[in-house]
Amino acid sequence: MFRSILRNQQKISLRTLATQATEKAPRIKKFQIYRWNPDTPQEQPQMKTYEIDLNKCGPMVLDALLKIKNEEDATLTFRRSCREGICGSCAMNIGGKNTLACLCRIDQDTAKETKVYPLPHMFVVRDLVPDLTHFYKQYKSIEPYLQREDHPADGRENLQSIADRAKLDGLYECILCACCSTSCPSYWWNQQQYLGPAVLMQAYRWLIDSRDQATAQRKAMLQNSMSLYRCHTIMNCARTCPKGLNPGKAIAEIKKQMAFD
Amino acid sequence: MFSLSRQIGIKSITRPTTSILSRSIKTIPQPPGYVVGTVNDAYIPPKPHKLEGSYHWTAERLVSIGLVPLTLAPLFTGVSTLLDSTLSALLLYHCYAGFQSCIIDYIPKRVYGNYFNYAMYLLTFGTGIAGYGIYKIEEKEGGVTKLVGKLWKA
Repeated sequence: MFRSILRNQQKISLRTLATQATEKAPRIKKFQIYRWNPDTPQEQPQMKTYEIDLNKCGPMVLDALLKIKNEEDATLTFRRSCREGICGSCAMNIGGKNTLACLCRIDQDTAKETKVYPLPHMFVVRDLVPDLTHFYKQYKSIEPYLQREDHPADGRENLQSIADRAKLDGLYECILCACCSTSCPSYWWNQQQYLGPAVLMQAYRWLIDSRDQATAQRKAMLQNSMSLYRCHTIMNCARTCPKGLNPGKAIAEIKKQMAFD
Repeated sequence: MFSLSRQIGIKSITRPTTSILSRSIKTIPQPPGYVVGTVNDAYIPPKPHKLEGSYHWTAERLVSIGLVPLTLAPLFTGVSTLLDSTLSALLLYHCYAGFQSCIIDYIPKRVYGNYFNYAMYLLTFGTGIAGYGIYKIEEKEGGVTKLVGKLWKA
């Protein structure tokens, strides 16, 4: 009996496989991608157009970029790693918005071209790869780690109440893709000294951590006109964040906390 | 032909010339990639400053919030010199703080050096003149609110 069931299933699966899928008409989508090669610095950066059949491509912009790199132009350079929005490598400006290529769906309207640029107002290493050295240096300057004078008597972990832990939600999820910082006009003008939304949100994350005891030093670091107070609540950061976080609110909370310090 | 034009750098000849004003202002050259020290050093923020940090921000906010009732008050209570001079003083500070912010944003000291200071002196000078103007208006016209009222009717 068991065998007969198996045989029946085989028959059905065979029958479904036998139906031929009809060949779909190709849907050609044009991608304009920013290209610049440091080996030929005398050549101006240019937009290069690539054509892709959307029927033979995955749904995300990263799929399209990988397809271009694999099949059309192996010299196209970009960062990518996890392809699921957790590493923050593939941050770029797609269709005028800073986002992660792996989380951005391809616009299915084939009449329109999709333009892909590196993150705006950053030094370009090559093609879609921006130089984030200064961004990471700024992140390092806020000392993003737990600082304590005393340690728990039992020599085990620093405990935290559930309510205190809940305060970190919406802050710890940040993957430092730099989408928000590079969308901020204030960061464009003064990125050497203004820390930018991504780094300030992490500064806030360590300010409100109930286990951290360096709050005073952390606040003192921001007591100048450049580090924090170049934020003019433009709120591009909250609008562009591919993870749906709100760095603008975190900065406002820092300002509120520091108001009478 | 293409390679030749590249070799002799035709592009540099055809590049649009910058305006005379922007060429005459000497800016301070910035480090490559804005990286100061090695790539592994943390960025060093400017030193804490009592007048430029949180107190400045709080003062700005208090003045902005305070301006709202002060602007509306003359409509209900009528004009008084005390009310009017407070309003104009706060408005003056509000403008001063706003322009100060613009100067810090667009003429930063790290790029423009002394031009930043000149802009600040000019702003302070202008604010002083405006302050004196407000004093004169209070003295002769009976206050900014009355002046606006006159203009409204005229």
